[in-house]
Amino acid sequence: MTTLSLPTKSPAYTLEEGLREPADPPTIRRGASGEWAREELLLRKLGPKGWGRVYQFRNYYESGWGEKGRVLSPRALDAFFRFLEEATFPADRTSPSVFLTDRGGIELCWEDCNGKSVQVEFTGTGAEFYRAATDEEGAVAIDGLAQLSRRLAA
Amino acid sequence: MSDGFPIQIPDRLPVHIEPCPIVQAIFETRFVSPQPWATMPGLLFAHIRQKYPEQKTLPMAQLPEELRRQDPALLILPLIQFLSDTFLIQLGPRVVSLMTKPNTYPGWSAIQQELRWLLQQIKAAGFVGETERLSSRYIDFFAGDIFTALRLGLQINDQPLRGTQADVTTFFRRDALSIRLQVTNGAIVATKEGPTPGSVLDVDAWFGPLDVDLFGNGLARFAEAHHAIKGLFFGLIKPELLHKLNPTYE
Repeated sequence: MTTLSLPTKSPAYTLEEGLREPADPPTIRRGASGEWAREELLLRKLGPKGWGRVYQFRNYYESGWGEKGRVLSPRALDAFFRFLEEATFPADRTSPSVFLTDRGGIELCWEDCNGKSVQVEFTGTGAEFYRAATDEEGAVAIDGLAQLSRRLAA
Repeated sequence: MSDGFPIQIPDRLPVHIEPCPIVQAIFETRFVSPQPWATMPGLLFAHIRQKYPEQKTLPMAQLPEELRRQDPALLILPLIQFLSDTFLIQLGPRVVSLMTKPNTYPGWSAIQQELRWLLQQIKAAGFVGETERLSSRYIDFFAGDIFTALRLGLQINDQPLRGTQADVTTFFRRDALSIRLQVTNGAIVATKEGPTPGSVLDVDAWFGPLDVDLFGNGLARFAEAHHAIKGLFFGLIKPELLHKLNPTYE
């Protein structure tokens, strides 16, 4: 009996032929376990462009990108997702933009319902924000992200 | 099931079962690093060479980096393996893991001891920046159809599906722990007797970046994930299978 070890499967075992997954066509990309909800969240809140940019930041940017750019912090990314779960953005404005910051954080920028800019940079310890409408800036810890998200949507 | 978790975990868990169904156990950390990949194997090997003198490049290393980046599942695969008598250490640009050798599970206390030692060596090697994910994973093999022995199954028209090949993967959350459970009755496993068809129970339990720091609570998190998998295993199997495994309790 020939056994093949698919690269993404454990080398400890392989599925019998009838259970092996056919190769997905390029139009389908399966989310990793536990990642599906996040991918769906990204698409719903940021649209295909935002989803694509986060994918790029996670997979293509190594330490040293740009001049002294640091690799995307997994903690910052988790903080970003926590914020995004509670976030609402004005429907009549363009989708929020996402950036990778030099220090390995991830930044979200959008316009509020009056067209004024809102910026939030997520780091390994929480987030720093700026709201142009009120010229307000500040920082919150990880456990304050959901509250910040609701506050900035108001 | 008071916490909403769908599997009832027994209050008392065995300390030993025989025959042991564990094919392999894997304790993995994914991380981001300020170091380029090219330097990592050398940095680690300098610290583990006494215990892990043999190294093997894995086939995935032959794939061009650009190609590996196209698929996140490939990106986190190890590219090189270091071998000792009892364990394997696997290393990739974003992953390092300790694995038991196939079909020779040395027991949790031996694993814990090796993990403690390995974490010290990884820390000294200095290539782990931030922890992205930390997991324990157990792969168990059973001859025959495991679905008849589990409190889990597939139904068609409200009738249990029996005698057909099936592969079920599901995902749970339990507090900070994420758990992927895969059960199949159509696996081929490399046992001591050679490739053998049968069933596999594959459980991977992990913590995300905000809940783990490899050099802080890493060892405790490995133990928590190990314990969760153990509880899940004994919560899933029916009494008949448990009896066949000759459990011993403290």
